[in-house]
Amino acid sequence: MPEPRLIDGRGMEPPEPLELAVAELGTLAPGEELVMLLNCEPLPLYAILDRSGYRYRSERRADGSNEVHIQKA
Amino acid sequence: MQPTLSFEQAPPISVPYRFFLTAPLFGAVAGLILAWLGPAAIESRWSPGALAMTHLIVVDFMLQAMCGSLLQFVAVVAGANIWRPRLVAAVVHPLITAGAVFLATAFLLERQLLFLLAALTFATAMGLFLTVMAIALLRTPARGMSIYVLRLAVFGLLVTVVLGVILATTLGLHEELQSVWSLLTLINVHVAWGVGGWALMLVIGVSYLVVPMFQLTPAYPVWLTRLLPAGLLLVLCLWSLQLLPGMGTAQAWQSGVVIAGMLLAGLFALATLWLQSRRRRRQADVTLIFWRGAMLALLGLAASWLLFEALPQLGGHARAPLWLGVLALPGVFLSVIMGMLYKIMPFLNWLHLQRQGGTAMPPPNMKQMIPERAMRGQMRLHFVALILLLAAVLWPALALPAGLAFSASCLWLEWNLIGAARLYARFRDRIRAAAAGSAAAPAQS
Repeated sequence: MPEPRLIDGRGMEPPEPLELAVAELGTLAPGEELVMLLNCEPLPLYAILDRSGYRYRSERRADGSNEVHIQKA
Repeated sequence: MQPTLSFEQAPPISVPYRFFLTAPLFGAVAGLILAWLGPAAIESRWSPGALAMTHLIVVDFMLQAMCGSLLQFVAVVAGANIWRPRLVAAVVHPLITAGAVFLATAFLLERQLLFLLAALTFATAMGLFLTVMAIALLRTPARGMSIYVLRLAVFGLLVTVVLGVILATTLGLHEELQSVWSLLTLINVHVAWGVGGWALMLVIGVSYLVVPMFQLTPAYPVWLTRLLPAGLLLVLCLWSLQLLPGMGTAQAWQSGVVIAGMLLAGLFALATLWLQSRRRRRQADVTLIFWRGAMLALLGLAASWLLFEALPQLGGHARAPLWLGVLALPGVFLSVIMGMLYKIMPFLNWLHLQRQGGTAMPPPNMKQMIPERAMRGQMRLHFVALILLLAAVLWPALALPAGLAFSASCLWLEWNLIGAARLYARFRDRIRAAAAGSAAAPAQS
């Protein structure tokens, strides 16, 4: 199981995390996971993932931020 | 936890862009009027030139940009369904543009018929816009302080437009119509609702979301997010009591009401500057600097008002209201609008292109949508123009350079925004060509 790729977008200005995520999606291998840490619920990203054939799950962390796990469907 | 944005409800890109690309042009025209008329335009707030310039800025620049943004923002932030956004934009946009041209020309040439045309045009345009917006904002399931404040702002726009239409009709029919209110009373209330109830309320509502999310600051304190809109609404209602029979405009408590309003505005400016000083990222982009400039102008406005109250000889000067007007309109509102346009247009370009091209043809980086140097150059010119406009209020001989600088700044903004729209169109065509090519390829093989 490869190490998940991580984008910590908590200190980034939107939509920089979104831009980085879209760039990473193109090179994500089957079974590989992209993890994003964000201060908000990334609804535009979910729409992109739904359209582009990726599955995701989102968890609310204790500090109020979101942890989103993304894989190829 | 910060509020979220949803782009699934976003209207077609042409809906907001037609408003954004028209707005700066009329700022440029206002600047040219100042340069052309010279010191005569700024003798007092009642000079035809000052009234024409003011309405070109508040209607054709601010209202255009704010209506375009609101059509986008309400759909995205409130997840609200705007009724047929293409149709609404196709009707409202040309009517606002024509209405403001009628109004500005009516002031300059003092033609009654043009006042009536302006009243009719605005009543139609804003009647449709306000109905659609009110339904969308009342039906949205979204909650939160931003939504409540946006509703108040739309109500503020309604009051401003109703009073504005009554005023324009009164000016158009002044021989035939005896208004129950004096013109001064109507103007006092119209200006207060336009500046405080619509424009400032909208900036406050938007700031609750935009400042923490895009400028990476802590959130506004909850007590402040409640106090500002409630306090502002109370101030505006008390100020509107002058419309009651026998109330008049010179009551001592009325100046206290305005002082309370100015203290609220100053508190909002200080809170925003304080939050911005605690942002998580040190690097300051143009949008942040525009916001800071706007908040400093708002502080300057509140401080100037208090000074004019304390020194009636200064406050009673014919050009004192122009000083306040320059701080409020180009200083506060145009600075926020310009800063927001530089954030909104690249963002919308990116999102709409991403939606069309998917991960196969990713859009250009958002920072490449408008060159940083061009945005910074225009921003510097805007603040130079603002200083020149303030200086021209003190020394009217500076009207020519102030008008030209303001006009040039608006044209530069227009050029930068056109560049973003052209980049969008170029990339969209490339995506379409690639899609057409890949559809044709299997047929050929």
